Amino acid sequence: MTSGNLGLPKPEPLLRVSALSVDYDAAGGDAVRAVRNLDLEIAGGESVGVLGESGSGKSSLALALMRLLPKNARVASGSIEFHGQSVLGLSPARLRELRGGEVALISQEPALALNPVLSLGKQLADLLVAHAKLARQQVNVRCTEMLRHVGFTDPERILGAYPHELSGGQRQRVAIAQALICRPNLLIADEPLSALDVATQAEILDLLQRLKRDLGLAMLFITHNAGALASLADNIVVMREGETVARGPMGELQATRDDYVQGILFPEKSLANAAHTAPSIESCAPLLEVRGLSKRFVQKRMLSRKEFVVQSLDGIDLSLSAGSTVAVLGRSGSGKSTLARCIAGFETADAGEILLDGNLITTAEKNKGGVLPPVQMIFQDAATSLNPRFTAQQIVTEPLEIARWKTEAERTSRALKLMEEVGLDPDWALRLAGEFSGGQRQRLALARALAAEPKLLIMDEALSGLDMPLQAQMVRLLMDLQSRHGLTYLYISHDLNFISLFAQEVVVMDAGRIVERTTPEKLGQSVHPATRELVEAGERLHAPGVEAAV
Amino acid sequence: MIRYFARRAGHGFLMLFGVSILLFLLFQTAPGDFLSEIKMNSQISPETITMLRAQYGLDQPLPVRYWQWLKSSARGDFGYSFAYNTPASTLLWPRASNTLLLSVPALLISWLIAVPLGVLAAGWKGRWADRLFSGGTSALLALPDVLIALLALLVALKTGMFPVGGMTSINAQDQSTWAWLRDLGWHMLLPVAALVVGSLTIILRHVRASVIEVLESSYMRAAEGHGLPRFKLLFGYALPAAANPLISLFGLSVAMLLSVSLLIEVVMSWPGIGPLLLEAILARDLFVVIGAVMLSTVFLIAGNLLGDVLLYAFDPRIRRQA
Repeated sequence: MTSGNLGLPKPEPLLRVSALSVDYDAAGGDAVRAVRNLDLEIAGGESVGVLGESGSGKSSLALALMRLLPKNARVASGSIEFHGQSVLGLSPARLRELRGGEVALISQEPALALNPVLSLGKQLADLLVAHAKLARQQVNVRCTEMLRHVGFTDPERILGAYPHELSGGQRQRVAIAQALICRPNLLIADEPLSALDVATQAEILDLLQRLKRDLGLAMLFITHNAGALASLADNIVVMREGETVARGPMGELQATRDDYVQGILFPEKSLANAAHTAPSIESCAPLLEVRGLSKRFVQKRMLSRKEFVVQSLDGIDLSLSAGSTVAVLGRSGSGKSTLARCIAGFETADAGEILLDGNLITTAEKNKGGVLPPVQMIFQDAATSLNPRFTAQQIVTEPLEIARWKTEAERTSRALKLMEEVGLDPDWALRLAGEFSGGQRQRLALARALAAEPKLLIMDEALSGLDMPLQAQMVRLLMDLQSRHGLTYLYISHDLNFISLFAQEVVVMDAGRIVERTTPEKLGQSVHPATRELVEAGERLHAPGVEAAV
Repeated sequence: MIRYFARRAGHGFLMLFGVSILLFLLFQTAPGDFLSEIKMNSQISPETITMLRAQYGLDQPLPVRYWQWLKSSARGDFGYSFAYNTPASTLLWPRASNTLLLSVPALLISWLIAVPLGVLAAGWKGRWADRLFSGGTSALLALPDVLIALLALLVALKTGMFPVGGMTSINAQDQSTWAWLRDLGWHMLLPVAALVVGSLTIILRHVRASVIEVLESSYMRAAEGHGLPRFKLLFGYALPAAANPLISLFGLSVAMLLSVSLLIEVVMSWPGIGPLLLEAILARDLFVVIGAVMLSTVFLIAGNLLGDVLLYAFDPRIRRQA
C-alpha cells in the first residue's frame, strides 16, 4: 500500500493474491514448487515490482495470474482475487473477458508477441472486437489513438504494417498498445525490457511510466533488473526460489542487510572488492592490431541488378595490449559484431589488416595438427551456440580434437579441469548441454573457449542473455581467469554494465566507425551523441546508488 | 509481383526442358525399342525392320531425334504413337482431362476436410478426441493405396450400389446431358473417395503438426492472454501462421495425388493417363510415355506455381522479398 493515506479507510485492493503456490510436474512424478505461499496486493493505480533472478518463480506468478500456466503446471494452493472475484474459479467466458479486457499481459519476449503473418491493424482491432461491440469506424479511431499514445507519429502506416517491418522497440510499443487498447485496470509486464538494447529499454521504460500516469494504470512489473524498478515501482517484492524474501519500497530494501537482496539490487557491488586487483597494463607490444578494417555487405538478388550495400565496418583501427580488456560499445547494428567476426576469422574483411602478435591473421596457418587457434569467441546465446545433444565433456574437448591435441585421455582430463575452473562440477561432464541452465551453459561455453588456451578471447554480448546477478558472477570469473592466465579480452556489449570494473579502455562504435576512444572513468563526460545515448540509457536503468557502490 | 511469378514460371519452363532431356537419355539407355518384339518374329525380314526403323526415325542419333520431337511438340503433336499410328497428343489430351477430373476434386476435397479437422485436432491435443484421431490416421496411413482401391472395388461389388470401374455406363451416348453428368458423377464417386482416403491422412497429420507448433509459440500465448475467442485463436491466428509449410505441401500433394491417381485409374479401370502410361511402357511406345510423363510434370509444376501464388497471398514476409 502506498504510504500516507491520511486516515482514510484502506481501499479494497484491485488484485489480492494470498498464499499462492504453483507446482510444475517434474520427471518421475515429482512436483517442483515454482511459487511458494506468495502474498501480494495491488491497489488501483499502484505499481508493484517483482524482483528476482531467473528461476525465482516470477514468470510463473505472471502466468498464474492470467491463468495461462502451461499444461504441466497448476496452482497448488492459495487464491487470486481481482476486484474481489476469484480468478481461479472463473468460467471460460468470464476468463476471456478478464484477459485483455481488465488485466493485460506483456509477456517476456514482446517482440515475439505479435503474429508474423497478420497486419498489426488486424491484431489491434481483433482485441477491441473481442471485448467491446464497436462499429468499424470506432475501432479504427481507437486503434490510431492508441498507437499515438504509445508514441507513433504515423499510426496509419503502422496499422497496415506487419511485425517484420518494424524494429524491436517499435514492436514492443505495438505489444504495449495491444495490451492497453481495451483499457485494462491492471498491466502485468513480465520482463518487458530484457530483449531490447539499452537505449530502447530506456525509451520503453519512459513510455510505461507516462502511460501509468496518464491512464491511472496499476502495474505489476516483473524483472531481474533492479534499476528499472527504481523510478517505476511504489513497492517491490523480492523473490528467490519461489519465496518472498523481502518487500517494501526501494529505499527500504536498499537499507536491508540480506545478501540476496543486496546482490540483486547492486549486482556490481559484489565486484567492488575485486575491482582494484584488475590489472592496469602498460605493456609494450600490442597483442592484437587492427588497421583500416573495412567490410561491406552487398545484398543481391538473382536476375536483378539492384544492389543494397551495407557498410558494416568503415576503416576501423584498434589495438589491444596483452592482458588487457577493451570494451567495444554500440547500439545494435553499429558493426561491433562484424568486427568481432572479422577478428575471429568468420568473415573476411574487404580492406585492412589484422595482426596478432605481429603476424597477419589471414596468413596464419590453419588446422595444423597440435596447434591450437589463438583466438576464441563466446557468443551471446549459449543456448543456441552449443549443441544440446553433446555432453559437457564433448563440448569442451571438441576444439582439442579438431586440433588433434595430444591423446584422448589427456583431452578428457583437461576438460574436467577446465570445468572445475569455470565453476562447473566435473561430475556433470556426461550431462547433455541441454540440461544445463542458461548461466551454466555460458560457463560451459567459456570452458570450451579456454580449452584451446587462447591468447585473445572475444565475447560478443556474451553476458547480455544472463540476468544481473549471473552477469556479476561471470564478470568475477572472467577477471579471475584473466589474472591467472594472462588472457586478453575483447568485450562487446550494448550496455555499460560492469564496464568500469573490468575494462581498461572503451571504444564506442556507431554506423561502422569508431566514434570515440576513452576510458571507463571518462565515459560519463563524453559529449559525442552516440556515447551520450548509451550513458544516459545506462543511467536510467540503474538503481540510484549503484555507481557509488562501484 | 508479376516479375516474381514470371520468374517462377520461367523456372518451371526450364524444368520441363530438363525433364524431357532426361527422359530421352533414360530411354536411350533402356534396352530394346518398339520394334524389338517384331524382330523375334521370323516371318518379318530384317530388311522390313530396317525400313520400319527408318520410317519411325529410330535409326537417327539421339540429338536429331530430340530435335524432331521438339519440332513436333511445337506443332502440338508431341511425337507420334507407334502403337496407335496417330500423333501422341490425340491420345494424351482426352486421357489427361479424365485424370484431372479425378484428381482436382480429390485434391480440393482432401484439403477442405484436412485443414479444419487438423486445426481442431491440434486444438484438442492430448485429449481423447485427438488420440482417437491420431490412431485413426496412423491406421489409414499404413494402408497401401492399391489396397484402398481394391477395397473400394469390393464395396462396389458387394453392395451393387456403385459401378465397378469404368467412367460411363454402356448406354451413356444415348442419354441427355443431365443424365450423362449424373452417370459420370456416379462413376467418379468411388475413385475420388479412394484418392481422398489415400492422400487425406498425410495432409491431416501435417496440418495438425504445424498448427501444434504454432500454438506453442509465444505470440499464440500472447493472443490467448488478450482474451481472444478460441475459434478465432485457432482459425484466425494459428492457421495463417502455420500456413507457410502447408502451402508448400500443397504443391507436393499435387504430385502425390497424381502418382496415387495413376495407380487407382489402373485398378479401377478409369480411362486416365495411368492405364495409357502402363500400356505405353509395356509396348515401349516411346513418345506416348514421354508425353505422359511430361504432362504429369506440367501438372506438378502448375501445382507448385499455384502454391507460390497462395504463399504470396498469405505470407507478408514473402510479399516483401518478391
